[in-house]
This record gives sequence, structure tokens and C-alpha cells, in this order.
Amino acid sequence: MLVTLLKIDNIDFSYPGAKILEDVTFEMKSGEFLGIMGPNGSGKTTLLRCLSNALSPQIGTVLIDGKDIQRLSKKEIARNIGVVPQTSSVDFAFAVSELVLMGRTPHTERFKSETTHDFEIAEEAMRLTNILHLSERTFDELSGGERQRVIIARALAQEPKILLLDEATVHLDISSKFEILNLVRNLSKQREIIVIAVFHDLNLAAQYSDKLILLDNGKIASMGLPHEVLTPENIQKTYHIDVIVKQHPITNTPYVTPCPFAKNSEDGKGHTVHMICGGGSGSNIMRLLLDNGFKVTTGVLNVLDSDFVTAKNLKIPVIGEIPFSQITNDSHKANIKLIKKANFVVVTDFQIGAGNLKNIEAAEFALDSKVPVIVIDSTPISDKDFIGGDLEKHFNQLREHQAIFVKNPKMALNIILKEAAT
Amino acid sequence: MFKIDFEKKRIKRKLILASLFCALIFTIIIVTMIGTMGPLGGQGVPEKIPFQAVLDVLSGKGYLWPDVYETIILDIRLPRILLAVLVGCALAVSGTTMQGLFKNPMADPFLIGLAPGAAVGASFSILLGISISISIYSTPFFASVGAMLTVFAVYIIARSSGKIRVETLLLTGIAVGSFLTAVMSFMMYMAGQQFRFMFFWMLGGLYRASWEVVVIAFPVIILGVIIIQLFARDLNAITLGEEPATHLGIDVEMVKKILLIFSSLIAGVAVAFTGIIGFVGLIIPHMMRILVGPDHRILLPVSALAGGIFLVWADTVARTVLSPTEIPVGIITALCGAPFFIYLLQKNKKGRFVSHAT
Repeated sequence: MLVTLLKIDNIDFSYPGAKILEDVTFEMKSGEFLGIMGPNGSGKTTLLRCLSNALSPQIGTVLIDGKDIQRLSKKEIARNIGVVPQTSSVDFAFAVSELVLMGRTPHTERFKSETTHDFEIAEEAMRLTNILHLSERTFDELSGGERQRVIIARALAQEPKILLLDEATVHLDISSKFEILNLVRNLSKQREIIVIAVFHDLNLAAQYSDKLILLDNGKIASMGLPHEVLTPENIQKTYHIDVIVKQHPITNTPYVTPCPFAKNSEDGKGHTVHMICGGGSGSNIMRLLLDNGFKVTTGVLNVLDSDFVTAKNLKIPVIGEIPFSQITNDSHKANIKLIKKANFVVVTDFQIGAGNLKNIEAAEFALDSKVPVIVIDSTPISDKDFIGGDLEKHFNQLREHQAIFVKNPKMALNIILKEAAT
Repeated sequence: MFKIDFEKKRIKRKLILASLFCALIFTIIIVTMIGTMGPLGGQGVPEKIPFQAVLDVLSGKGYLWPDVYETIILDIRLPRILLAVLVGCALAVSGTTMQGLFKNPMADPFLIGLAPGAAVGASFSILLGISISISIYSTPFFASVGAMLTVFAVYIIARSSGKIRVETLLLTGIAVGSFLTAVMSFMMYMAGQQFRFMFFWMLGGLYRASWEVVVIAFPVIILGVIIIQLFARDLNAITLGEEPATHLGIDVEMVKKILLIFSSLIAGVAVAFTGIIGFVGLIIPHMMRILVGPDHRILLPVSALAGGIFLVWADTVARTVLSPTEIPVGIITALCGAPFFIYLLQKNKKGRFVSHAT
């Protein structure tokens, strides 16, 4: 099979008074799957419409195998490019087979009807998209996923070298999304079709695309392999939200989880709360505190602890310790230092063993230095005591020194807010 | 398998087309026979022309019968029936095209101001009295000029940067149409004596039929229908929406222009000679779509034939039911058309042919 080259050379597109695309340049070849992402209004759909020649860029060219798309006839373009829009409506009761056969329009002359070859191509397209059994149904009888398969079959019947998908899965349920994208990805590999798909869902984009383009205000903000493009920095720059990027456990593609700050209030007045936590017990309250305008510090946590990861992601100062080892004196001193600067100390519900007992001592130190300590104590003490029954003694000591014991993080937050207000 | 299904579909379509064609021929022969003629020599009861006489006259053996039979069949009934066929065909094809083009099941040939335009033209000529003084063709001439000017004006107003948006076209058509309706109402109000002529013209009828009229209407309507047929596949694609049609390689703007021009032209010619005959262009496409599906490659010719047949029968009813006076055929088409249309809507409530968004 001949390799097709698609070259987008430095295109600019503007509507009167509004520049939509600027200096967009990239290249693709047969069998590649490109995902285009970007916030609303960043020019994704406009770019796709320039590629399908529905719009003509004012500057720059779109070249298919070296030929300027604007010099091709509408029919020639349709023989090269198939388009799958977000949704399609068919107002008249065409049968599915008739709709797919319409994909042969650019290959049929005005005075002729379809040939055996046309029927074979259409049938093959329906087989690939698994809609042969729907052949005599009408479009309005089909589910969203089936409809998209019909539209893809019609595009395939055009025998395109390039397939453009404009958020083609956005209205589908999660299983249909994967079904359609698996189908398209397989087609791009088996039939050596160039696929360019606009995505809203960053994770789907990462999972299916060979390459990604991140658009921002009509310019390419980042282009490359999924893990190169989907970084927290890039996403912060274009979408203005904070995200955590992990690896998908199975596909190893980047997996983006948004953690947007919802600044609820400034009631925290910038007071600092030091967290003594572990095992994920502190993550939720860290968020709550940040959302209410507090500064947060935490320690000491071993670097594999999920609270440690959260603190890192939330950019909270954290004192880390090597896993499975006791808290060293250096770490403890650093922790004490943070406590001295803090206005409050919160001790969450976590399991305490020989390794992290120093953290409880740190809480006792806080009380001694007149820093209020709030202890979240919702589980029976025996469940978190891994030091052979001595934990109760430590907790009683905290009580004696006026530590405030509460039942849940919400109550802890309320107490801190009240204290901060005075 | 797939191909065989389509071959079957094609054969079925050809059969439907062939049977409609036979039905048309049959209709023409039967209808030629229907009707009374005044009593020969002005005395006695009205009599009917025998079937054998019709067959003989049509096959060129008219000399076997009284001359008056030949005159009635060849010079009065036949041109009228052929005009009914042509006009029915034009209205149905124009309606089918407009419905496809506008993706709107309520579209008909008069949608974009054609009817009021023609009516104003016709009223103008009647009001000035030139219909009698200059030529019997002056009213049709003014009607068609009025119709074409209106469509042209609507088209120009609705156009922006070389493109026509169908929604804009539709709304412009409605606006221009109501304006012209007001103009026409005013003319009728001022008409006095001529009011009855205007009113009669607007109700539509085939009483102006003559061979001269058929000779003018025939080439225009047949040419228009053939050209529209050549764009049937493009029309199919356009019913999917303009952008999807573009992605299938259709030059949408060009096709829209051609279809608008020729569907207006054939409807305009029809209106010019027969006034406004409603419902043919609305219900025939619907009925035929139920029969053969939405593929315009078959829908257009089938609608053409069915439109012809329907109007011939409607006209036969119009000229015989209150014989010797005749009632305007527009009344008959509306009387049969409207209830039938409601019946279809009830029966097809699930919306197989009624437009609905997804």
C-alpha cells in the first residue's frame, strides 16, 4: 500500500475580527492516529474543518501527497477524506444500507448507478463496522453507538485515506465510546488510514492516539507522544486546572485526574495547619483546609504513603522518610520546626507503629508549645495501635494536655475555622 | 447478499414505476370518456360519448363517429387532461424537491412566495383589463412573471456572501409572501367588477386548457423534471444536511441553486396556466415516500406520475360533479388532500417521514 502523507503547512484561519488558528503545522503518514485536544474555543473543530476543506485557511496549505487540497475538486476531496461528526440526523427514512451506499457518491458518475464494485465496498464497510444486521433498519431506530457506526461505515465506503472525527464519541455511553474508538483505531492500523480525532476527554485521547496535539487559542501549545503532551504543566497552562497525571494501570498511557481547587472561602486567613497523618487519612482534610484558605504543612510521612503523594500533588510542604524505616531524628526535628511555625496541628486517624510513633510525640510537643492540637478519633484505639497497647497511654496524655478530640474531619475543620476567626 | 437485496429493490421500483405509467395511460383513456356534452342540436338530454368512440378517436378512426365527438375529445378533453397531467407532475416534482431541499415535510412548491407572486401578477393583468384586450395569454404571462420575480427576489434577499441558507430562504419566502398577499388583498378589495375573475383564478382550475397551452407547458415542465431527476442523488445527500453532503463530494451551493431554479420554474409554469392548485405538491410526495422510500432517484419519477394521475382525476371530479358548471379543481384537491393528509399523519405518528431532530 502506498504511504499517504498529510502535511499541514503553517495555516492561519480567521473569521472577520477573530483569529481562530495561527501557525498550525504538522505532518502525518498512513496508519497514524492523531488526537487533537484543547479547551472550548481553542480552534479544534475549526482545524478539522480546514482539513476537510469546509473552511479555507487564509494563509498556509493543506497538502495530501503533495497536492494542495484547495486545488482538488469536491469529489476528489471526498475520495480522500471521510468525516464523522459529533452527531448526525437523518430526517428521511433511508435504510442503513442506503445510507452507507451514499458513501459511494464521490466514486459514481452522475448518469450511472452503483456497480457491483460499489456494493462490495459498501458491504465490506458494513462488515467492518458490524452493522450488516442493521441493513434494513432506519437511522432513527438505532442507538447512538449504532448510528456512529453507520456514519463511520459511510465514511469508509468513500475509501478515504484520511478519516476525521469531530468529538465523535462525546454523546455516547462509556461502552460505546470504547467500541467506536477501538474500531477506528483498528481501522487506522489495518487499513493504513490517517485518523485525526478531536477529543474532549484527555484520557481517551491519551489511550488511543499515537500522537497528540494540544491547542490553545488557535496555536499548538504542545505536540508529541501522549506522555510528552499530557503533563500537569501543559494542562495547567491551557486548561488552567491542576491535575495529577498517573499511568493507566493497564495501557501505561498517561491518565489525567483533575484536582481543581474550589476556593470556598478565605476564612483560614492564611493560618498554617500542620497535619500529622498517614495511610490516606489526611488527604481529604488537606483539600478542605486548602479550599478554605489555610496553609498546610505535613510530616513525617514515608514517601510511598498515599498522603505523601497527595501532599506532593497539592504542593504542600512535606517531610518525607524512607519507606519501612523508623522516623529519623533529622526528620523529627524538621517536623518539630514546621509545628513551631504552625497555628494548629491536626492528628488524623492512622495506624501507629514503632516506625511512626515519633509523630505522636511531635503532637505532644505541639501541646507543650501551646499550639492547639485537634485529634480526629473515629476508629477504636485498638484498631490503630501497632505498638503493643501503649497507644492509649499516649492518647490519654494528649487529652490531659488539652488536645481536642473530634469524631470526623468536618468537625475538625469547623473547630479550626472558629479558632481562626477569633 | 447485499447486492441481491439491492437488485430486488431495483426490480420492485421498476415495477412500481411501470404500473404507475400504465395507470396514467389508463387514466387518460378512461377520463377522456367521462363527462357529458350538451344535447346534440340543443335539444333533448345531455348524452355521453360511448367508450368505443373514445378508443376510435384516439386511434385515428374518428371518422366513424359524428364530427362533434372528435372535436370534444381531441380539442377539449384531451388538451385539458394532458395539461392536468403536466401540471400535476410539475407540482408533485416541485414539492418533492422542496421537501428534500428544505428537509421539511411541510414544504410545497409555493413555499418561497411563488403563489402570492403569481397571484399578484395575475391580479395585476386582470385589474388592468389587459387579459381581454391584448391576449388570452396575458394573465398566464403576468402570473409567471410575478412568480419568477418573487422567487428571484426571495433568493437575492436570502443570499449572503454567495451562499443560501435554507432557513433564511424559508423565512424570507414567508415574509415576502405575506407582503404580496397584502398587496393582492388590496387589489382584490379595489377590484370591483373584476373581483370574481381574480378569486376564480386563485382557486385554480384547468379550464384554460388548449393545445397551445399544452405546447408551451410541455417542453418547460418536461425539461425541468428531467434536470431535477439528474440531481436526484445529490438531493439524497443534501437531505442529510449540507455539511455531510459536502463531505460526500457534492457541490451543495450549485446543486441548491439548480434545484431551486428548476423546481420554481416548473411550478411557476403550472401556476401561470392553472392558478393556485394546492395540496398536490404537498401530499403526493408524502404518499409516494411511504410507497417507495425516500430515495429521490425513484421518488421523483414516481411522484411525477402519481401527481399527474391525481390531478387528472381531481379535475374530472371538478368538471363533472356539478355539471354543467364546474368547480375549481383547487377545492377538490384540498377537500380530498387535507383529510387524507391528516389520516397519514395519524397513521405515521411514529415519524417515519415526519421530520424530527435527533
